[in-house]
Amino acid sequence: MSASFGLQLSMQQVSKQYGKKTVLQGVQLDISPGEFVAVVGRSGCGKSTLLRLISGLEPPTAGEILVDHERISGIHPDIRVMFQESRLLPWLKVIDNVAIGLGKEERDKAVSALHRVGLETRARDWPSVLSGGQRQRVALARALASDPRMLLLDEPLGALDALTRIEMQQLIEEIWSIQKFTAMLVTHDVSEAIALADRVILIENGQIAFEVPVNLPRPRERDHHFVRLERLVLDKILKSHANGVSSQLPSSQWTLLPR
Amino acid sequence: MRKSLNAMLPFTVPALVVIVWQILGQSGLISTRILPTPVAVVEAGIQLGKQGILWQYIWSSTERALAGFLIGGSVGFVLGLLNGLYRISQRLTDTSIQMLRTIPHLALIPLVIVWFGVGEEAKIFLVALGSVFPIYVNTFFGIKSVDSDLIEMAKVYRLPWLKLFWKVILPGALPSILVGIRYALGVMWMTLIVAETISENSGIGYMAMNAEEFMQMNVVVLGIVLYALLGKISDWIATTMERRFLRWHPNYLSNH
Repeated sequence: MSASFGLQLSMQQVSKQYGKKTVLQGVQLDISPGEFVAVVGRSGCGKSTLLRLISGLEPPTAGEILVDHERISGIHPDIRVMFQESRLLPWLKVIDNVAIGLGKEERDKAVSALHRVGLETRARDWPSVLSGGQRQRVALARALASDPRMLLLDEPLGALDALTRIEMQQLIEEIWSIQKFTAMLVTHDVSEAIALADRVILIENGQIAFEVPVNLPRPRERDHHFVRLERLVLDKILKSHANGVSSQLPSSQWTLLPR
Repeated sequence: MRKSLNAMLPFTVPALVVIVWQILGQSGLISTRILPTPVAVVEAGIQLGKQGILWQYIWSSTERALAGFLIGGSVGFVLGLLNGLYRISQRLTDTSIQMLRTIPHLALIPLVIVWFGVGEEAKIFLVALGSVFPIYVNTFFGIKSVDSDLIEMAKVYRLPWLKLFWKVILPGALPSILVGIRYALGVMWMTLIVAETISENSGIGYMAMNAEEFMQMNVVVLGIVLYALLGKISDWIATTMERRFLRWHPNYLSNH
């Protein structure tokens, strides 16, 4: 694999509206090949919509999204998504779930993807007998099976317990550093964003409010550099709160904040 | 030992009823002219079985039931698929189908006799009509209730339409479709029982009606028992299908 295996992504003045509600407003974002970007923000800030636009599940209202300098419309074959829920098909065995996007002759790819997430022994099991963390690992294997050039992660660890989260973070980082795909992680966990990303982007009211590179050596430890960066991002989020910017949001969405 | 006792548990109540029934009949507490004893019913069955008529009657009833079920079931399934998958088809036909569904199909007997006479067609038509709606409603509902998250996932993986249908939509709708089949099998026998009283020269209904004229109460009861047995068999087939096709379902996972 060449150094530029991951794809280059560029969003130019991208906006998204649902009816009269503007969710994203003139987003300008460039992601280099192989870069790991984390997007943080309060619930309802538009970060998940950003991911859905890149995945091609929804079209932008205005602006354009370029992959390797070419405008994309619809779902790009080299981009895969991992959702918060595993979304495994309960009526297919684990291995058949991993192979869902592959052709008939590519089963070995599914086997190897399952091997990479360390679940090769569960290939013939039904998804319903797996734990939540195992299901997410199968979902990760499914996303990786076709060797995507970009992986979108929509809060994929949000529903897992603390220990499993740490394991999964390590696994994702490990696979990313070997396969060199471009990655975008949407999360509301600032510490998770800093542990994994090369760059953290904060979205507020549908716009990029702040971004900061994370130049810490990997694998990352929670040293004082880490904590200082975490504090910085958190302060930015909290400040917008204090300024009353988020007072337009329903009260149920005030509870965000990292664990 | 425990296991076989457990397996026999569902049969204890019917067995007790039969025993009490036999005792009441034998002791004369119930007149055998009103209700023959179980032994007399079984004797009638053996006698008719030896003559060969019994099997002939059972077969012609089963044939009618299955023909009607297959016709009605296919129509209901296809309509359910179309309306579940295509909004335009749903807009076009669902309201009309729901309207027809509210008519009790047995109320159509006089009309059906005028249309088809009293022959096979009338009975098969009635059974088909009775089977259409349970299968339609459950297929339609099953497809509508397939998890939209899974369909979205399939989109991300760019599944071609046929694969989407076979791997995601149909398996997702299957639990509901099987409920429809089970229910339709029940309606099938019920409809047939009524339809076979119209006018007939074969079948279990004919056997019972004929016996009634000659006051052979044991044969009348035999007919009722046969219907119950056939109904139980088709229900067993339906549950076997559920176990076979829903192996993945947490409800059926214990013996995978």
